[in-house]
Amino acid sequence: MLLLRWSDGGVQSGGDVNQKQMQLGVGVLGALGVVSVLMLHWMVFFWVPTESTMGVVQRIFYIHVPAWWIAFLGFGLVALCSAVYLWLGDERLDRAAVAGAEAGMIFTTVGLLTGPLWGRVAWGTWWEWEPRLTLALILWFIYLGYFLVRKSTVNPEQGKRFAAVVGIIGVLDIPLIHISVTWFRSLHPEAVILSADNPMNLEASMGATIGVGLLAFTLIFASLFLARYLVSGYEHELDLRDAALPVEQGAEA
Amino acid sequence: MMAYLQFVWAIARKDLLVEFRTHERLTAMGAFTVLVGLLFSFAIDTALVRTQDIAAALIWMTIIFGGLLGMGRTFRMEEQDGALSGILQSPIPLDALYLGKVLANFILLSMMVALVFVVFTAFFRLQFSGSVVALLGVVSLGVLGFVTLTTLFSAMASRSTMGESLLPVLVFPLLIPVVRFGTQATSRLYAGRPIAEVSGDLRLLAVFAIVFTIACAWLFRFVIEE
Repeated sequence: MLLLRWSDGGVQSGGDVNQKQMQLGVGVLGALGVVSVLMLHWMVFFWVPTESTMGVVQRIFYIHVPAWWIAFLGFGLVALCSAVYLWLGDERLDRAAVAGAEAGMIFTTVGLLTGPLWGRVAWGTWWEWEPRLTLALILWFIYLGYFLVRKSTVNPEQGKRFAAVVGIIGVLDIPLIHISVTWFRSLHPEAVILSADNPMNLEASMGATIGVGLLAFTLIFASLFLARYLVSGYEHELDLRDAALPVEQGAEA
Repeated sequence: MMAYLQFVWAIARKDLLVEFRTHERLTAMGAFTVLVGLLFSFAIDTALVRTQDIAAALIWMTIIFGGLLGMGRTFRMEEQDGALSGILQSPIPLDALYLGKVLANFILLSMMVALVFVVFTAFFRLQFSGSVVALLGVVSLGVLGFVTLTTLFSAMASRSTMGESLLPVLVFPLLIPVVRFGTQATSRLYAGRPIAEVSGDLRLLAVFAIVFTIACAWLFRFVIEE
Protein backbone atom coordinates (compact mmCIF):
# COMPACT_ATOMS: atom_id res chain seq x y z
CA MET A 1 0.00 0.00 0.00
CA LEU A 2 2.91 2.24 0.63
CA LEU A 3 3.38 2.35 -3.12
CA LEU A 4 -0.12 3.74 -3.61
CA ARG A 5 0.57 6.77 -1.51
CA TRP A 6 0.59 10.12 -3.27
CA SER A 7 4.24 11.08 -3.04
CA ASP A 8 6.23 8.29 -4.50
CA GLY A 9 9.49 10.18 -4.75
CA GLY A 10 10.91 9.31 -1.36
CA VAL A 11 8.60 11.19 1.01
CA GLN A 12 5.85 8.60 1.35
CA SER A 13 5.32 9.09 5.06
CA GLY A 14 4.27 12.74 4.77
CA GLY A 15 2.48 12.23 1.44
CA ASP A 16 -1.15 12.72 2.50
CA VAL A 17 -0.33 15.85 4.49
CA ASN A 18 1.42 17.27 1.43
CA GLN A 19 -1.61 16.53 -0.71
CA LYS A 20 -3.99 18.31 1.67
CA GLN A 21 -1.69 21.31 1.92
CA MET A 22 -1.50 21.50 -1.83
CA GLN A 23 -5.28 21.31 -2.22
CA LEU A 24 -5.57 24.16 0.27
CA GLY A 25 -2.89 26.05 -1.67
CA VAL A 26 -4.80 25.65 -4.94
CA GLY A 27 -7.96 27.05 -3.29
CA VAL A 28 -6.30 29.95 -1.51
CA LEU A 29 -4.09 31.00 -4.41
CA GLY A 30 -6.99 30.60 -6.85
CA ALA A 31 -9.34 32.71 -4.70
CA LEU A 32 -6.70 35.42 -4.22
CA GLY A 33 -5.99 35.25 -7.95
CA VAL A 34 -9.65 35.69 -8.92
CA VAL A 35 -10.06 38.62 -6.48
CA SER A 36 -6.96 40.34 -7.83
CA VAL A 37 -7.99 39.71 -11.46
CA LEU A 38 -11.37 41.35 -10.71
CA MET A 39 -9.57 44.23 -9.04
CA LEU A 40 -7.22 44.52 -12.02
CA HIS A 41 -10.19 44.82 -14.37
CA TRP A 42 -11.80 47.47 -12.18
CA MET A 43 -8.53 49.42 -12.18
CA VAL A 44 -8.05 49.01 -15.96
CA PHE A 45 -11.59 50.13 -16.84
CA PHE A 46 -12.42 52.71 -14.18
CA TRP A 47 -9.40 53.84 -12.23
CA VAL A 48 -6.20 54.23 -14.26
CA PRO A 49 -5.98 57.39 -16.43
CA THR A 50 -5.95 57.09 -20.24
CA GLU A 51 -2.45 57.20 -21.74
CA SER A 52 -1.92 60.42 -23.71
CA THR A 53 -0.40 59.19 -27.02
CA MET A 54 -1.93 55.73 -27.58
CA GLY A 55 -5.31 56.47 -26.06
CA VAL A 56 -7.74 54.00 -24.61
CA VAL A 57 -6.28 51.00 -26.48
CA GLN A 58 -3.18 51.18 -24.30
CA ARG A 59 -5.25 49.73 -21.44
CA ILE A 60 -4.85 46.22 -22.91
CA PHE A 61 -1.19 46.56 -21.93
CA TYR A 62 -2.13 45.82 -18.27
CA ILE A 63 -3.27 42.36 -19.35
CA HIS A 64 -0.84 41.77 -22.22
CA VAL A 65 2.40 42.41 -20.30
CA PRO A 66 1.58 40.21 -17.26
CA ALA A 67 0.45 37.43 -19.64
CA TRP A 68 3.88 37.44 -21.27
CA TRP A 69 5.68 37.46 -17.98
CA ILE A 70 3.82 34.25 -17.04
CA ALA A 71 4.34 32.72 -20.49
CA PHE A 72 8.10 33.10 -20.14
CA LEU A 73 8.04 31.96 -16.51
CA GLY A 74 6.19 28.81 -17.65
CA PHE A 75 8.70 28.18 -20.43
CA GLY A 76 11.62 28.66 -18.04
CA LEU A 77 10.08 26.16 -15.61
CA VAL A 78 9.59 23.60 -18.40
CA ALA A 79 13.23 23.81 -19.42
CA LEU A 80 14.60 23.70 -15.88
CA CYS A 81 12.35 20.85 -14.70
CA SER A 82 12.89 18.89 -17.94
CA ALA A 83 16.68 19.08 -17.69
CA VAL A 84 16.71 18.02 -14.03
CA TYR A 85 14.10 15.32 -14.78
CA LEU A 86 16.35 13.75 -17.42
CA TRP A 87 19.24 13.97 -14.99
CA LEU A 88 17.58 12.60 -11.82
CA GLY A 89 14.58 10.77 -13.29
CA ASP A 90 12.28 12.03 -10.51
CA GLU A 91 8.62 11.78 -11.55
CA ARG A 92 7.68 14.94 -9.67
CA LEU A 93 9.91 17.06 -11.88
CA ASP A 94 8.10 15.79 -14.98
CA ARG A 95 4.79 16.71 -13.36
CA ALA A 96 6.10 20.17 -12.56
CA ALA A 97 7.33 20.56 -16.18
CA VAL A 98 3.97 19.61 -17.65
CA ALA A 99 2.13 21.87 -15.19
CA GLY A 100 4.42 24.76 -16.21
CA ALA A 101 3.90 24.01 -19.90
CA GLU A 102 0.10 23.90 -19.67
CA ALA A 103 -0.17 27.12 -17.68
CA GLY A 104 2.48 28.68 -19.95
CA MET A 105 0.52 27.74 -23.07
CA ILE A 106 -2.65 29.35 -21.70
CA PHE A 107 -0.87 32.64 -21.04
CA THR A 108 1.00 32.51 -24.36
CA THR A 109 -2.41 32.23 -26.01
CA VAL A 110 -3.66 35.21 -23.97
CA GLY A 111 -0.60 37.21 -25.08
CA LEU A 112 -1.08 36.17 -28.71
CA LEU A 113 -4.75 37.20 -28.62
CA THR A 114 -4.31 40.53 -26.82
CA GLY A 115 -1.33 41.59 -28.97
CA PRO A 116 -3.23 41.63 -32.31
CA LEU A 117 -6.24 43.32 -30.67
CA TRP A 118 -3.95 46.18 -29.72
CA GLY A 119 -2.09 46.01 -33.05
CA ARG A 120 -5.32 46.41 -35.04
CA VAL A 121 -5.83 49.85 -33.51
CA ALA A 122 -2.23 50.97 -33.02
CA TRP A 123 -0.59 49.58 -36.18
CA GLY A 124 -3.75 49.30 -38.28
CA THR A 125 -3.18 45.59 -38.88
CA TRP A 126 -4.06 42.36 -37.06
CA TRP A 127 -0.79 40.66 -37.71
CA GLU A 128 2.65 42.02 -38.41
CA TRP A 129 5.86 40.01 -38.80
CA GLU A 130 7.30 41.84 -35.91
CA PRO A 131 10.07 40.18 -33.84
CA ARG A 132 8.33 39.76 -30.50
CA LEU A 133 5.05 38.70 -32.08
CA THR A 134 6.85 36.22 -34.34
CA LEU A 135 8.86 34.83 -31.44
CA ALA A 136 5.63 34.42 -29.46
CA LEU A 137 4.01 32.43 -32.25
CA ILE A 138 7.07 30.19 -32.53
CA LEU A 139 7.07 29.60 -28.75
CA TRP A 140 3.41 28.61 -28.97
CA PHE A 141 4.25 25.99 -31.60
CA ILE A 142 7.16 24.64 -29.56
CA TYR A 143 4.74 24.19 -26.64
CA LEU A 144 2.36 22.42 -29.03
CA GLY A 145 5.14 20.01 -30.03
CA TYR A 146 5.84 19.42 -26.35
CA PHE A 147 2.26 18.26 -25.74
CA LEU A 148 1.94 16.28 -28.97
CA VAL A 149 5.06 14.26 -28.32
CA ARG A 150 3.97 13.44 -24.75
CA LYS A 151 0.76 11.87 -25.99
CA SER A 152 2.22 10.08 -28.97
CA THR A 153 3.95 7.10 -27.40
CA VAL A 154 2.66 3.72 -26.28
CA ASN A 155 4.94 3.78 -23.25
CA PRO A 156 4.13 6.93 -21.19
CA GLU A 157 7.63 7.02 -19.65
CA GLN A 158 9.07 7.37 -23.13
CA GLY A 159 6.63 10.21 -23.88
CA LYS A 160 7.81 12.05 -20.78
CA ARG A 161 11.45 11.74 -21.82
CA PHE A 162 10.63 12.86 -25.39
CA ALA A 163 8.78 15.89 -24.05
CA ALA A 164 11.69 16.80 -21.78
CA VAL A 165 14.04 16.64 -24.78
CA VAL A 166 11.73 18.93 -26.79
CA GLY A 167 11.60 21.36 -23.85
CA ILE A 168 15.40 21.55 -23.59
CA ILE A 169 15.99 21.87 -27.35
CA GLY A 170 13.29 24.57 -27.51
CA VAL A 171 14.97 26.68 -24.85
CA LEU A 172 18.42 26.26 -26.43
CA ASP A 173 16.96 27.45 -29.73
CA ILE A 174 15.25 30.57 -28.33
CA PRO A 175 18.32 32.87 -28.44
CA LEU A 176 18.96 31.94 -32.10
CA ILE A 177 15.28 32.28 -33.01
CA HIS A 178 15.34 35.65 -31.29
CA ILE A 179 18.31 36.78 -33.38
CA SER A 180 16.64 35.48 -36.56
CA VAL A 181 13.41 37.35 -35.96
CA THR A 182 15.12 40.61 -34.98
CA TRP A 183 16.48 40.93 -38.53
CA PHE A 184 13.10 42.54 -39.11
CA ARG A 185 12.63 46.12 -38.05
CA SER A 186 10.79 46.13 -34.77
CA LEU A 187 7.39 47.79 -34.54
CA HIS A 188 6.85 46.66 -30.98
CA PRO A 189 6.73 49.43 -28.40
CA GLU A 190 9.96 49.60 -26.45
CA ALA A 191 10.00 48.33 -22.89
CA VAL A 192 8.78 51.34 -20.97
CA ILE A 193 8.69 49.96 -17.46
CA LEU A 194 12.29 48.92 -17.12
CA SER A 195 13.99 51.06 -19.76
CA ALA A 196 17.59 51.88 -18.91
CA ASP A 197 17.36 55.67 -19.28
CA ASN A 198 14.45 56.07 -16.94
CA PRO A 199 13.96 53.08 -14.72
CA MET A 200 10.51 54.07 -13.44
CA ASN A 201 8.96 56.52 -15.86
CA LEU A 202 5.39 55.29 -15.49
CA GLU A 203 2.73 57.36 -13.81
CA ALA A 204 2.23 56.01 -10.27
CA SER A 205 -1.32 54.80 -10.99
CA MET A 206 -0.19 53.00 -14.14
CA GLY A 207 2.66 51.41 -12.21
CA ALA A 208 0.20 50.26 -9.55
CA THR A 209 -2.13 48.77 -12.18
CA ILE A 210 0.63 46.85 -13.89
CA GLY A 211 1.83 45.71 -10.45
CA VAL A 212 -1.64 44.37 -9.63
CA GLY A 213 -1.75 42.72 -13.07
CA LEU A 214 1.57 40.94 -12.47
CA LEU A 215 0.46 39.83 -9.01
CA ALA A 216 -2.96 38.65 -10.23
CA PHE A 217 -1.54 36.60 -13.10
CA THR A 218 1.23 35.16 -10.93
CA LEU A 219 -1.36 34.00 -8.36
CA ILE A 220 -3.54 32.46 -11.05
CA PHE A 221 -0.48 30.79 -12.56
CA ALA A 222 0.60 29.41 -9.16
CA SER A 223 -2.89 28.03 -8.54
CA LEU A 224 -3.15 26.44 -11.99
CA PHE A 225 0.36 25.07 -11.65
CA LEU A 226 -0.37 23.44 -8.29
CA ALA A 227 -3.75 22.12 -9.47
CA ARG A 228 -2.19 20.52 -12.54
CA TYR A 229 0.63 19.11 -10.45
CA LEU A 230 -1.91 17.54 -8.10
CA VAL A 231 -3.95 16.07 -10.96
CA SER A 232 -0.80 14.50 -12.44
CA GLY A 233 -0.15 13.01 -9.02
CA TYR A 234 -3.64 11.46 -8.96
CA GLU A 235 -3.12 10.12 -12.48
CA HIS A 236 0.15 8.58 -11.42
CA GLU A 237 -1.52 7.08 -8.33
CA LEU A 238 -4.21 5.50 -10.55
CA ASP A 239 -1.59 4.12 -12.92
CA LEU A 240 0.21 2.51 -10.00
CA ARG A 241 -3.06 1.06 -8.71
CA ASP A 242 -3.87 -0.38 -12.15
CA ALA A 243 -0.41 -1.83 -12.43
CA ALA A 244 -0.68 -3.36 -8.94
CA LEU A 245 -4.12 -5.00 -9.52
CA PRO A 246 -3.20 -8.07 -11.60
CA VAL A 247 -0.37 -8.87 -9.20
CA GLU A 248 -2.74 -8.78 -6.20
CA GLN A 249 -5.34 -10.92 -8.00
CA GLY A 250 -2.63 -13.35 -8.98
CA ALA A 251 -1.45 -13.58 -5.38
CA GLU A 252 -4.99 -14.29 -4.15
CA ALA A 253 -5.51 -16.97 -6.75
CA MET B 1 39.50 8.71 -29.79
CA MET B 2 40.33 6.67 -32.89
CA ALA B 3 38.09 3.85 -31.66
CA TYR B 4 35.25 6.35 -31.15
CA LEU B 5 35.64 7.70 -34.69
CA GLN B 6 35.68 4.12 -35.98
CA PHE B 7 32.34 3.51 -34.26
CA VAL B 8 30.91 6.67 -35.85
CA TRP B 9 32.18 5.64 -39.26
CA ALA B 10 30.92 2.06 -38.85
CA ILE B 11 27.36 3.32 -38.33
CA ALA B 12 27.59 5.86 -41.15
CA ARG B 13 29.11 3.29 -43.52
CA LYS B 14 26.36 0.78 -42.73
CA ASP B 15 23.63 3.34 -43.42
CA LEU B 16 25.27 4.51 -46.64
CA LEU B 17 25.85 0.94 -47.88
CA VAL B 18 22.22 0.02 -47.28
CA GLU B 19 21.08 3.22 -48.95
CA PHE B 20 23.30 2.78 -52.01
CA ARG B 21 21.96 -0.75 -52.43
CA THR B 22 18.27 -0.02 -51.92
CA HIS B 23 18.19 3.65 -53.13
CA GLU B 24 15.01 4.10 -51.08
CA ARG B 25 15.61 7.52 -49.61
CA LEU B 26 17.79 8.84 -52.45
CA THR B 27 15.13 8.00 -55.02
CA ALA B 28 12.40 9.65 -52.94
CA MET B 29 14.44 12.79 -52.30
CA GLY B 30 15.75 13.01 -55.87
CA ALA B 31 12.31 12.59 -57.43
CA PHE B 32 10.89 15.11 -54.97
CA THR B 33 13.53 17.67 -55.94
CA VAL B 34 12.94 17.40 -59.67
CA LEU B 35 9.15 17.32 -59.30
CA VAL B 36 9.09 20.33 -56.98
CA GLY B 37 11.23 22.21 -59.51
CA LEU B 38 8.66 21.24 -62.14
CA LEU B 39 5.74 22.38 -59.96
CA PHE B 40 7.46 25.68 -59.14
CA SER B 41 7.96 26.32 -62.85
CA PHE B 42 4.18 26.13 -63.31
CA ALA B 43 3.38 27.97 -60.09
CA ILE B 44 5.59 31.01 -60.68
CA ASP B 45 4.58 33.57 -63.28
CA THR B 46 7.98 34.57 -64.60
CA ALA B 47 6.44 37.55 -66.41
CA LEU B 48 5.68 39.07 -63.00
CA VAL B 49 8.38 37.66 -60.71
CA ARG B 50 12.09 37.30 -61.44
CA THR B 51 13.03 33.78 -60.29
CA GLN B 52 16.55 35.08 -59.60
CA ASP B 53 15.09 37.20 -56.77
CA ILE B 54 13.29 34.33 -55.08
CA ALA B 55 15.82 31.59 -55.90
CA ALA B 56 17.20 31.35 -52.36
CA ALA B 57 13.74 30.89 -50.84
CA LEU B 58 12.82 28.19 -53.39
CA ILE B 59 16.12 26.38 -52.89
CA TRP B 60 15.92 26.34 -49.09
CA MET B 61 12.27 25.33 -48.96
CA THR B 62 13.02 22.44 -51.32
CA ILE B 63 15.98 21.40 -49.13
CA ILE B 64 13.82 21.51 -45.98
CA PHE B 65 10.82 19.63 -47.39
CA GLY B 66 12.81 17.14 -49.46
CA GLY B 67 15.27 16.66 -46.61
CA LEU B 68 12.48 15.93 -44.16
CA LEU B 69 11.19 13.27 -46.54
CA GLY B 70 14.50 11.42 -46.40
CA MET B 71 15.59 12.17 -42.83
CA GLY B 72 12.23 11.05 -41.45
CA ARG B 73 13.10 7.51 -42.46
CA THR B 74 16.49 7.44 -40.68
CA PHE B 75 15.44 4.86 -38.10
CA ARG B 76 12.66 3.19 -40.10
CA MET B 77 14.74 0.21 -41.22
CA GLU B 78 16.10 -0.55 -37.74
CA GLU B 79 12.68 -0.24 -36.13
CA GLN B 80 11.03 -2.56 -38.64
CA ASP B 81 13.55 -5.39 -38.46
CA GLY B 82 14.33 -5.08 -34.76
CA ALA B 83 17.91 -4.26 -35.73
CA LEU B 84 18.03 -1.36 -33.30
CA SER B 85 18.13 -3.61 -30.24
CA GLY B 86 21.14 -5.34 -31.83
CA ILE B 87 22.93 -2.02 -32.29
CA LEU B 88 21.99 -0.93 -28.78
CA GLN B 89 23.53 -4.12 -27.37
CA SER B 90 26.78 -3.56 -29.28
CA PRO B 91 29.62 -1.68 -27.52
CA ILE B 92 28.97 1.44 -29.59
CA PRO B 93 28.36 4.50 -27.35
CA LEU B 94 24.96 6.06 -27.96
CA ASP B 95 26.39 9.44 -28.94
CA ALA B 96 28.63 7.70 -31.50
CA LEU B 97 25.53 5.98 -32.88
CA TYR B 98 23.83 9.35 -33.19
CA LEU B 99 26.87 11.03 -34.80
CA GLY B 100 27.17 8.13 -37.27
CA LYS B 101 23.54 8.61 -38.26
CA VAL B 102 24.14 12.36 -38.60
CA LEU B 103 27.19 11.78 -40.81
CA ALA B 104 25.30 9.40 -43.11
CA ASN B 105 22.33 11.78 -43.29
CA PHE B 106 24.65 14.72 -43.98
CA ILE B 107 26.24 12.89 -46.94
CA LEU B 108 22.84 11.80 -48.34
CA LEU B 109 21.30 15.23 -47.95
CA SER B 110 24.35 16.91 -49.51
CA MET B 111 23.79 14.76 -52.59
CA MET B 112 20.18 15.93 -52.73
CA VAL B 113 21.25 19.56 -52.27
CA ALA B 114 23.68 19.25 -55.19
CA LEU B 115 20.75 18.04 -57.30
CA VAL B 116 18.59 20.94 -56.04
CA PHE B 117 21.15 23.46 -57.33
CA VAL B 118 21.53 21.67 -60.67
CA VAL B 119 17.75 21.40 -61.20
CA PHE B 120 16.94 24.96 -60.17
CA THR B 121 19.80 26.43 -62.20
CA ALA B 122 18.61 24.49 -65.26
CA PHE B 123 14.86 25.06 -64.83
CA PHE B 124 15.01 28.73 -63.87
CA ARG B 125 18.22 29.80 -65.66
CA LEU B 126 19.66 31.14 -62.42
CA GLN B 127 22.84 33.18 -62.66
CA PHE B 128 25.34 32.89 -59.83
CA SER B 129 27.97 35.60 -59.53
CA GLY B 130 28.96 35.35 -55.85
CA SER B 131 31.63 33.34 -54.08
CA VAL B 132 31.24 29.58 -54.60
CA VAL B 133 33.29 28.85 -51.46
CA ALA B 134 30.98 31.03 -49.35
CA LEU B 135 27.93 29.33 -50.87
CA LEU B 136 29.44 25.92 -50.04
CA GLY B 137 30.01 27.10 -46.48
CA VAL B 138 26.45 28.40 -46.09
CA VAL B 139 24.89 25.26 -47.53
CA SER B 140 27.12 22.84 -45.58
CA LEU B 141 26.53 24.55 -42.24
CA GLY B 142 22.80 24.93 -42.91
CA VAL B 143 22.48 21.29 -43.93
CA LEU B 144 24.48 20.15 -40.86
CA GLY B 145 22.20 22.17 -38.55
CA PHE B 146 19.15 20.74 -40.28
CA VAL B 147 20.44 17.18 -40.10
CA THR B 148 21.40 17.32 -36.39
CA LEU B 149 17.87 18.28 -35.37
CA THR B 150 15.96 16.08 -37.80
CA THR B 151 18.05 12.99 -36.96
CA LEU B 152 17.20 13.33 -33.26
CA PHE B 153 13.54 14.01 -33.93
CA SER B 154 13.23 11.24 -36.50
CA ALA B 155 14.34 8.80 -33.78
CA MET B 156 11.51 10.23 -31.68
CA ALA B 157 8.98 10.13 -34.52
CA SER B 158 9.82 6.54 -35.47
CA ARG B 159 9.01 5.43 -31.90
CA SER B 160 5.80 7.43 -31.62
CA THR B 161 2.32 6.40 -32.65
CA MET B 162 2.04 9.48 -34.88
CA GLY B 163 5.07 8.41 -36.94
CA GLU B 164 6.54 10.79 -39.49
CA SER B 165 3.58 13.18 -39.31
CA LEU B 166 5.01 14.34 -35.97
CA LEU B 167 8.29 15.44 -37.51
CA PRO B 168 7.27 18.73 -39.21
CA VAL B 169 5.37 19.97 -36.14
CA LEU B 170 8.41 19.41 -33.96
CA VAL B 171 11.12 20.52 -36.34
CA PHE B 172 9.75 23.49 -38.31
CA PRO B 173 9.57 25.98 -35.41
CA LEU B 174 13.08 25.01 -34.35
CA LEU B 175 14.49 25.34 -37.86
CA ILE B 176 13.67 29.03 -38.19
CA PRO B 177 17.29 30.14 -37.65
CA VAL B 178 18.52 27.80 -40.43
CA VAL B 179 15.86 29.06 -42.83
CA ARG B 180 16.45 32.69 -41.92
CA PHE B 181 20.27 32.79 -42.06
CA GLY B 182 20.48 30.24 -44.89
CA THR B 183 18.10 32.07 -47.22
CA GLN B 184 19.51 35.48 -46.39
CA ALA B 185 23.11 34.44 -47.10
CA THR B 186 22.15 32.48 -50.23
CA SER B 187 20.11 35.32 -51.71
CA ARG B 188 22.93 37.80 -51.04
CA LEU B 189 25.42 35.49 -52.74
CA TYR B 190 23.05 35.07 -55.70
CA ALA B 191 22.89 38.87 -55.90
CA GLY B 192 26.70 38.93 -56.17
CA ARG B 193 27.26 40.66 -52.82
CA PRO B 194 30.70 40.42 -51.13
CA ILE B 195 31.52 37.69 -48.58
CA ALA B 196 31.67 40.28 -45.77
CA GLU B 197 27.89 40.63 -46.08
CA VAL B 198 27.28 36.96 -45.35
CA SER B 199 29.92 36.38 -42.68
CA GLY B 200 27.40 37.13 -39.90
CA ASP B 201 24.97 34.55 -41.29
CA LEU B 202 27.79 32.03 -41.65
CA ARG B 203 28.82 32.48 -38.02
CA LEU B 204 25.24 32.07 -36.77
CA LEU B 205 24.71 28.97 -38.92
CA ALA B 206 27.93 27.57 -37.44
CA VAL B 207 26.73 28.34 -33.89
CA PHE B 208 23.43 26.59 -34.63
CA ALA B 209 25.17 23.52 -36.07
CA ILE B 210 27.69 23.25 -33.20
CA VAL B 211 25.19 23.86 -30.37
CA PHE B 212 22.71 21.32 -31.68
CA THR B 213 25.30 18.69 -32.63
CA ILE B 214 26.54 18.70 -29.02
CA ALA B 215 23.10 19.02 -27.39
CA CYS B 216 21.42 16.39 -29.57
CA ALA B 217 24.34 13.94 -29.19
CA TRP B 218 23.84 14.17 -25.42
CA LEU B 219 20.03 14.08 -25.52
CA PHE B 220 19.92 11.16 -27.98
CA ARG B 221 20.32 8.58 -25.16
CA PHE B 222 17.00 9.71 -23.63
CA VAL B 223 15.23 9.24 -26.93
CA ILE B 224 16.65 5.89 -27.97
CA GLU B 225 16.62 4.00 -24.66
CA GLU B 226 13.58 1.85 -23.97
